[in-house]
Amino acid sequence: MSSGSFLSVTGLTAGYGPVEVLHGLEFTVGEGEIVVILGANGAGKTTAMRSISGMISRHGSIEFDGADISHAKPDAIVRAGISQVPQGRGTFTDLTVDDNLVAGGYTVKGSISADLERWYDLFPVLAERRDQKAGSLSGGEQQMLAVARAMMNRPKMLLCDEPSLGLAPLITKELFRVLGTLRDDHNMSLLIVEQNAGMALALADRAYVLETGSIVATGTGDELLADDTIKEAYLGGVS
Amino acid sequence: MSLFLERFVNGLADGSIYALLALALVVVFRSTGQLNFAQGEIGTMGAFFVSTLTLTGLPVWLSIGFAMVLGFLVSAGVERIVVRPIEHRNPGAVIVALIGVFLAVNQIVAMIWGVDARSLPSVFPDDADDFVTIGGAPIRIARLGIIGVLIVVLFLLWLMFNKTKVGLAMRAVANNQESSNLVGIRVGSILVVGWGLAGAIGVLAAAMLAPSAGLTGTLMLGPFLLASVAAVLGGLDSPVGAVVGGLIIGLTEAFIVGYVDFLGADMLFPVMLVILLVVLLLRPSGLFGSERVERV
Repeated sequence: MSSGSFLSVTGLTAGYGPVEVLHGLEFTVGEGEIVVILGANGAGKTTAMRSISGMISRHGSIEFDGADISHAKPDAIVRAGISQVPQGRGTFTDLTVDDNLVAGGYTVKGSISADLERWYDLFPVLAERRDQKAGSLSGGEQQMLAVARAMMNRPKMLLCDEPSLGLAPLITKELFRVLGTLRDDHNMSLLIVEQNAGMALALADRAYVLETGSIVATGTGDELLADDTIKEAYLGGVS
Repeated sequence: MSLFLERFVNGLADGSIYALLALALVVVFRSTGQLNFAQGEIGTMGAFFVSTLTLTGLPVWLSIGFAMVLGFLVSAGVERIVVRPIEHRNPGAVIVALIGVFLAVNQIVAMIWGVDARSLPSVFPDDADDFVTIGGAPIRIARLGIIGVLIVVLFLLWLMFNKTKVGLAMRAVANNQESSNLVGIRVGSILVVGWGLAGAIGVLAAAMLAPSAGLTGTLMLGPFLLASVAAVLGGLDSPVGAVVGGLIIGLTEAFIVGYVDFLGADMLFPVMLVILLVVLLLRPSGLFGSERVERV
């Protein structure tokens, strides 16, 4: 485990009741890096995300930005600088787009109007719909809203749980372009779990493959893209 | 015409009390998905507390303020001590537990204050000659005052929900607890505040009702049932619906008791139940309840 890691997860086990889903995960994310965890349905991707953000009880060590957050509660983890874009967007459907973003900035002390304008600039479609209820947005727009909301509390790292789920390929492409922008222009570190291997690996600096609760392969995005077994399992056969 | 006007204002005044209580029920239901059966009894407890405080010479309005604080603490305590631990294990059992709280508070009130009826002074001028004449109808100032209290409470709630951070957090928690956690809202604290707020509003409703109804241990039984009907009628997750529902019930009550001799006061609850059934058959989510707009 390199000491320069921004997020470093060691021996992470977690599950639901008596069922253990994660069996001692180890992975790291460096500052300003996009790391993708690739996995099929049921591999434990969401459980890993919920462990890091403190939504479920977990064992093992999670260090972030020099602090031990292994046992921290969700709101403390948000305040430490980790913001999650949950699976299925998780927008506040009854609230307006604007209120969603303001709620996203809940932990920020002081004015958030500059943040609002910055993310409305990056997501112009949200600016157009700022007074609309989030539930009336399309899936792609809601995903953009979920990302913008997560950025509102000025995180140092973004966790994205299957952001491409249910989105058309073109929308996914646009979304991943924005995620790349967050890294390149805003020095954001990102941990993305995905089934959609092609686009995710193309974006990733590094990637891990998660199978039934354990990491089975790791490499740079390009290395894994070139790997035949990965192609077979996650890219629908050798292309 | 003047009799109609008098009954109309009285109906609105009673309706305002049902509306307040229904609001309290809705505030809790939106955030926790529970119908707080003890809502009325916590109000009764608060009204007795007001009576004790006024006997020490404290002004009525200040006594009501202190009693609302008590209502806030008791109701918040119920969420924290009874509802939350049980909810994690068995959400369905919360209903039974809340009925238990209802019985417990009812008995505690009887133990502390006895079972004899008391009279509670009104916060408004309420002597025999304290009325204004509108359109030939004598309208009691105390009745108008109750309607005024509802308007003030609505305005304050609107301010809180729409203009404050804690209000936004309460709306967020009501909509999606998981996401509320993820944006750093301490969901537990928000739930406690919501229940506390409902407790305080319930006490206010009881303190408004007691001067005319007489303060007894069963003060809020009927109003609680009517407020539940009002809340379901308006839509359990809609504050606007709670208010409209409360006023409808109040007016219906006033006009049935006033005009329909063969039904009268005794048939009030059956009539309300019929109204409730009809509304639920036609609009299961209530008049203003949300059939959620959602695209996936």
